[in-house]
Amino acid sequence: MSAPNAAYRPAPVHNRPLWRTAWRRIRRRPFQYVLLILGVALGVAMMVSVDLANSSASRAFELSTDAVAGRTTHRIVGGPEGVDQDVYVRLRRELGYRPAAPVVEGYLLVPELGEQPLRLVGVDPFAEPPFRSYFNTPTADQSGEGLTLFLTEPNTVILSRELAAQYGLALGDRLTLDRGGRKTAVQIVGLLDPTDGVSRRALSSLIFADVATAQPILEMDGRLSHIDLIVDGPEEAVDAQLATLEAFLPEGLRLETARARSNALQQMASAFELNLTALSLLALVVGMFLIYNTVTFSVVQRRRLFGVLRSLGVTGGQLFALILGETAVLSLIGASLGLAAGIILGRGMVGLVSQTINDFYFVVNVQSVAVDAFTLVKGLVIGVVAALAAALVPAWEAMRTTPQSSLRRSSLESKARNLVPWLVLIFIGLGAVGVFFLWLRGVNLIITFAGLFAVLIAFAFLTPGLTAVAMRILTPVGERLLGAVGRMAPRDIVRSLSRTSVAIAALMIAVSVIVGVSIMIGSFRQTVDQWLNNTLQADVYLSPPTLTASRVAGTLDEAVVDAAATWPGVQRAVTAANIPVLAPELGRTVEIVAVDGDVSDGNRTYAWIGGQPDTLWDRLAAGEGIIISEPLLLREGLSIPPEPLTLMTESGPQAFPVLAVFYDYASDRGTILMDQGLFGRQWSPPPVTSMGLFLQPGVDVDQVTAALQAQFRGRDDVVVQSNQAVRGNALDIFDRTFAITAALQLLAVVVAFIGVLSALMSLQLERTRELGVLRATGMTVRQLWQMTLLETGLMGSTAGLLAMPVGWILAWILIYVINRRSFGWTLQMELEPIYFVQALGVAVVAALLAGIYPAWRMGRMVIATAVREE
Amino acid sequence: MKSRLLLIALLLLALGGGALWWLSNQAAAAGPAASLVPLLAEENQAGFAQATVPNAVHFPRDLGPHNDYQIEWWYYTGNLATEDGRPFGFELTFFRRAMTPDAPEAPAGLWRTNQIYLAHFAVSDVGAETFYDFERFSRGAAGLAGAQAVPYRVWLEDWFVEEVTPGRVRLLAETDQVTLDLLLTETLPPILHGDGGLSQKGPEPGNASYYYSIVQQQARGTVTVQGDSYAVTGRAWKDHEYSTSALSPGTVGWDWFSLQFPDGSALMVVEGRREDGTPDDFSNGTYIAPDGAIQALTLGDWELEVLDRWTSPASGAEYPSRWRVTIPQLELELEGEPLMADQELNVSTIYWEGAVRFSGMQAGQPVDALGYVEMTGYGGSITGLQ
Repeated sequence: MSAPNAAYRPAPVHNRPLWRTAWRRIRRRPFQYVLLILGVALGVAMMVSVDLANSSASRAFELSTDAVAGRTTHRIVGGPEGVDQDVYVRLRRELGYRPAAPVVEGYLLVPELGEQPLRLVGVDPFAEPPFRSYFNTPTADQSGEGLTLFLTEPNTVILSRELAAQYGLALGDRLTLDRGGRKTAVQIVGLLDPTDGVSRRALSSLIFADVATAQPILEMDGRLSHIDLIVDGPEEAVDAQLATLEAFLPEGLRLETARARSNALQQMASAFELNLTALSLLALVVGMFLIYNTVTFSVVQRRRLFGVLRSLGVTGGQLFALILGETAVLSLIGASLGLAAGIILGRGMVGLVSQTINDFYFVVNVQSVAVDAFTLVKGLVIGVVAALAAALVPAWEAMRTTPQSSLRRSSLESKARNLVPWLVLIFIGLGAVGVFFLWLRGVNLIITFAGLFAVLIAFAFLTPGLTAVAMRILTPVGERLLGAVGRMAPRDIVRSLSRTSVAIAALMIAVSVIVGVSIMIGSFRQTVDQWLNNTLQADVYLSPPTLTASRVAGTLDEAVVDAAATWPGVQRAVTAANIPVLAPELGRTVEIVAVDGDVSDGNRTYAWIGGQPDTLWDRLAAGEGIIISEPLLLREGLSIPPEPLTLMTESGPQAFPVLAVFYDYASDRGTILMDQGLFGRQWSPPPVTSMGLFLQPGVDVDQVTAALQAQFRGRDDVVVQSNQAVRGNALDIFDRTFAITAALQLLAVVVAFIGVLSALMSLQLERTRELGVLRATGMTVRQLWQMTLLETGLMGSTAGLLAMPVGWILAWILIYVINRRSFGWTLQMELEPIYFVQALGVAVVAALLAGIYPAWRMGRMVIATAVREE
Repeated sequence: MKSRLLLIALLLLALGGGALWWLSNQAAAAGPAASLVPLLAEENQAGFAQATVPNAVHFPRDLGPHNDYQIEWWYYTGNLATEDGRPFGFELTFFRRAMTPDAPEAPAGLWRTNQIYLAHFAVSDVGAETFYDFERFSRGAAGLAGAQAVPYRVWLEDWFVEEVTPGRVRLLAETDQVTLDLLLTETLPPILHGDGGLSQKGPEPGNASYYYSIVQQQARGTVTVQGDSYAVTGRAWKDHEYSTSALSPGTVGWDWFSLQFPDGSALMVVEGRREDGTPDDFSNGTYIAPDGAIQALTLGDWELEVLDRWTSPASGAEYPSRWRVTIPQLELELEGEPLMADQELNVSTIYWEGAVRFSGMQAGQPVDALGYVEMTGYGGSITGLQ
């Protein structure tokens, strides 16, 4: 190896031999490259699967919304009661407005179609043609006869051929439509054959009936859900038509655009979806550490080779291109594999996501995973870019290093140690940015998440410094306990800090995510449990069966309400009616719970009370105002004390003073408590949707529950539950909601585990020659095992211990920043030791496992071979 | 270099593939035009009431609907002109069709019905050689469409004919392009066709309709075409027919003539047309004298000759476009032609219904008449609406 001579410049080397060199290395050492591919693949798979699950759910929702909307541009909508059908008839007869179609719709369960919530859409086929094209292509069995039956026979429906085939149903078969326990037997008199795949998917959650059939089934006799309109033409014409329509509409009805409602609904779930995406990004971050580690490792191992190449005239730029090129190709392979895995994973995930959306937001029926190209391209690009970014530092270094220092093995490590102060500065800088982002209010949730990530990554930069300090402290301790081996292990870790610290940081991040998310979920559950205990004070509850967790379909029969209220042993009864009402200022509907008493019997907790707390419910009962839920306050950014809230009553908008803000974890959309008397004065008196019974002291709750259940046996429209059962159900729904979070958390652990395992394993394998020398100079196999496991164990414990405070910080951010802003829920943080113990356990076990194979391999290796290695 | 190219190629391939996929997923097609026609093509007549006896039509009861008969129509046609002689023709027809013989069982919601209403509205703007035609469907429920005898009213949404005072009706039909608003005043009592209102359609008993007309009604009002309103007067003809009947086998359509003479007399002739072009045995006619006296005509009482034909550019159907009619017993010989050639309704059924002018000699005196001709079965088979 000749020293570089200023006068002598080697001729430029062609790239081709370089690539051949790289390829030969990949063939000889496939293990490391497999790890790189795996790192990218896992990160991409996580991201893609969550993306697909989210987009499938929203696409399914959009499709069914679009399928129902058709070419509708505007809608006439009313209050909770819907729209009087007379308005429609007058619209056509008096105004002569023809692009108008009546729609009656509602959700119900159909046991024959998989017991899933489906949308029954009642239409008038004569008004349909300009709106929806499904009835426009008559098929063989949809000839005059089918349509005649559809129009003239009660309880006849039409659905898509695909949906029918999926459940083995044919023309003429019967279905049961279950609306809150009220069951109607209907007959299939037509099957729709949509021509394109999009409508086919869209129709898979719809059942069509004639208006005359749908009205009684949905208990909407004489009423319509809305009137669809097509208002088109040049802008002035549209404005003129809208003005005419506005003038025509009776009080209490209004025009809205067709997309307004579905947009508002989708908006509600967006915070939930964003949270999932953020969790999936955590996996990618862990994956990036893995890539960084692998690339650094492969560069370090080839430093000698690179030195030689540089001496032969290969330029720094060529080396840079070589390393990035390698990484690009490998990451492309990894990302492609990740896409495939992500699609498979997404299929599993979509069920969990749509379950939660159904429980909390809106009914969505996801029949299939919509694999959209954008998600795939995005996953591919992010995977490759992340890999290239991770490879940038090692590649840069390979380029910058002079040939002679490349040949010195220790140079990188000494440089890495010199970097430590800089890394601490980065920690401070990045941490400050993160805290600033988190501190910002009223910004997009994405900024908040960026802050969370910044804080998390900042701690990763702190890891090398802390590791070095810890190892220095441990060196004398180790020596005292285990002699030479105990001294060598911590020093080894410091010596190869550039790689060990990355592995430790990766493990630390992964474990801190486990700690943080565990604390968050645990605190959440504890808070909800406490809240349920406070709120649900009545002993027995009656309600119609629910369609989805938060959606009551149907109402309680008056006879049932009367019978239950006067049941022996019942001291008093409170009833509630849930009615969505438009809040014009918020641009969406808010659920009003019209009550005639406090089901919490005064135990409810409040975030804010205006005036005397002990007279609050008297003032509510007197109709002085309303009580709003905390999510409504937080998510709509209302001030404290809140301004009066405007609601669309039957006689136009009206402002209601806010008396208090109560904690509510049942909905993140916001709820309003209002006295039934006040409600009845502004809207028509609402039908009761749930009821709570307070029993006389000493009366057995289970006995009364059983007696009421026996009394209403055979009635499908009442469910009688004891206090305990209601709480149990609520917690079950809670657990179901967090099933997806737990699943993602588990996946993050798996990614971290594999990452750490591979990183530590390659670290140890790299030292084959060194260990060979040690063995040659008298190290026993036992000592070898001790040293290897001690090293990996130390790294694992360091990561695990560091993860505890970081996890706690993460939990704090999740609870007090992310959750409050995403959902408007204030949670009480609960710290359980088990979360920390678990995390440490995972870290140490992963680390120790990573030591086993290298120790075993080295122990069995002939010393001479080991020394000859590399 | 090559390797880098390969890498770029790979990336481009992935992106391109993705884009293609995305595009293929964007395909969303709008469906074809409405087709409720199958509803009207129901051939099963079992269970419906049938027209069987003469002199069964009574007023005002039978001005209204007869829901137990399968089909029914209220047919208004007329020839109008402005004061300075600009001619217009109009047709406003309400069809009713029962999908099933029996009304839905109680409790029927407001929407449930077995009756379908269909309306055709056409205006012939002869001066501008422009023909406007429109069609509407509705269920005969919820007040959207229907008919009633007392007070007389037939309507489909905002198109209607209704009694204003006894013997006088208002007729209103409005669309984006044309509006017709007329007051029609009766000059003669209703005319019963056939055998006391029983008009036989085929040899089978019951294959007949109840059919009456109110002819020579004075019309006065406005026609609005593309925003321009014209005050018009003229003569209108109302047909009301209800039946559960079918065309005889071998009959492909019919040609119906209605002429109103200035002296107050009127003539109706309808020929069932067989595949070979000859009239079927149940072709018939009615001559109404100025005083309302009726003279029934049967096949053989007249001679109808087609002198010319016109091919519709829209449907390709070939229609007669000039006729010669000779009725020896009335000493009547007329030749006539449409006021404008294209008066073909291209709606869910294709037929020609338009304003015509006939002139010739009656009992040695020159005579002319305005009227309407309906020709069906030229643009494909005519089912359902009959």
